[in-house]
Amino acid sequence: MRGALAVAKKELLSYFFAPMAYIVMAAFLLMNGFLFAVILQALSQPGASSASPMGVFFGGTLFFWIFLIVTVPAITMRLGAEERKSGTLETLLTAPVSDAAVVAGKYLGALALYAACWLPTLIYVWVLTRFAEVDAGPVAGGYLGVLLVGMLFTSVGLFTSLASRNQLVAATLAFALLLSLLTVSILTFLVTDPFWKGVLDYVDLWAMLQNFSKGIVDTRAMAYLLSGTALFLALSHQALQAGRFSR
Amino acid sequence: MIEARHLTKRFGPATAVDDVSFHVGRGEVVGFLGPNGAGKSTTMRMVTGFLPPTGGEALVAGYDVAEETLAARAAIGYLPENNPLYEDLRVGEYLEFRAALKGVPRRRRAARVAAVVEMAEVGDVRGRLIGACSKGYRQRIGLADALLSDPPVLLLDEPTVGLDPGQVVHTRALIKSLAADHTVVLSTHILPEVEAICSRALILHRGRLLYDGPVAELRRSLAGGGAVILTLAATAAEGRACLETAPGVAAVEELPPDGGGSRFRVVAAPGADVREALFWACAGARLPILEMAAQSVSLEEAFLSLTTQEELARDAEREVAP
Repeated sequence: MRGALAVAKKELLSYFFAPMAYIVMAAFLLMNGFLFAVILQALSQPGASSASPMGVFFGGTLFFWIFLIVTVPAITMRLGAEERKSGTLETLLTAPVSDAAVVAGKYLGALALYAACWLPTLIYVWVLTRFAEVDAGPVAGGYLGVLLVGMLFTSVGLFTSLASRNQLVAATLAFALLLSLLTVSILTFLVTDPFWKGVLDYVDLWAMLQNFSKGIVDTRAMAYLLSGTALFLALSHQALQAGRFSR
Repeated sequence: MIEARHLTKRFGPATAVDDVSFHVGRGEVVGFLGPNGAGKSTTMRMVTGFLPPTGGEALVAGYDVAEETLAARAAIGYLPENNPLYEDLRVGEYLEFRAALKGVPRRRRAARVAAVVEMAEVGDVRGRLIGACSKGYRQRIGLADALLSDPPVLLLDEPTVGLDPGQVVHTRALIKSLAADHTVVLSTHILPEVEAICSRALILHRGRLLYDGPVAELRRSLAGGGAVILTLAATAAEGRACLETAPGVAAVEELPPDGGGSRFRVVAAPGADVREALFWACAGARLPILEMAAQSVSLEEAFLSLTTQEELARDAEREVAP
């Protein structure tokens, strides 16, 4: 895996030299800050439920998921498509580093930016602690869940970017794939057959993240998210190798 | 250092490189010549391991490019065609990234980057974004990158494209100076470049290797020993009679006189050097030579004749085969 860290560092540098990182982070914070404010307002109405604000924030609203499946493709779309279009893939793949190290490096770079997007939301937690008692467990669980979901989503985005020459195509493909992963959660409301409902429960992202944000760290959810990540990283590796065959 | 065995590359029905074999020894500087689309870049890409060949294999520094790809790649400094670079990095950062990628040890990295920056003369733009650099600088940044890990083998795909004449001279001098302790293969379609830098030429045309030999011999073997222009203190008839008897002479043409004596253009048989034979023939006939000049064929002419010969042979084959 020699070279993976060099690639990850270069990806981060590129993000922060191009305006991309700032645009993504600013938009992400704007949207989530607005969402957080709305949640706080709703929960402080008389007669509102006693749910914890961070619990609702992490995956409790449709907006959260929409922001996520837009943000992740925006982060990942250039990872491979840009290299292929500008031809730099050739210099990268003729350097003495393995394809696996290239995939790992790009993945880590993108994941680091994803994590950087979430970092400022710790302010929300700090704000809450000033006005109410905040239980640390659910908050930590929520962040763990967000990280795990992000790992899966980033691997999906990396795969579509390594498989295309065009950033827009890569982003659109990633968006479509993430949307279909998410749609499963909606299907659980429609399916009545107990067998299929049981199957869908295993892949219900919405419910998974809600559990995490209640402080329930379910190993089945972790297994799903991590194996999905592994699958898409393996597909990314394949896509990178296939890139050698096309001019 | 480089061994290509029956390299073949097909893209769908099109054959880009067709059964190309060659060997490049340590310290050789080889020019890879051919018109655009001849398969030069495809061959280079197969040697670097970027493109997997459809058939055949390549070895670099003793490592099989397909089997021991990382070891083979570590031995190569590669400047790809069109020299793709990350536009959004600064020059210094790019080179540091490439040094890390190429496994230059951390404590030697700064020194190596400084060394190649000086060699390629890109010090002026070290802090500039690559996207804002001129084509000449970009080309030299690519060259600096190729030299970073001080690899024994350099593969340079059209290294002087886009440079102004001064930079071309400097780049050629740099490549020449590297030749002392590197094995260099450079591709180009500029013939004088090969004459200026290379000791050996490989000529590719339509994916096939047409010529593999010393540059100096390229001219001679292709268009014979060329022609010799002679001025004799004799009449045209005397001169012609004498010259035609010399061994190795294929044809004698009379040229319009230029001052005293009669002028001839003597065409040698392929591969022969007739100058000495001409001297003795004239001396034997007691016809004083006033002037003798070898008229060498330019590499362009040689190249053209080579590629057209090949085309003629192909056309002939096609006519024979129904």
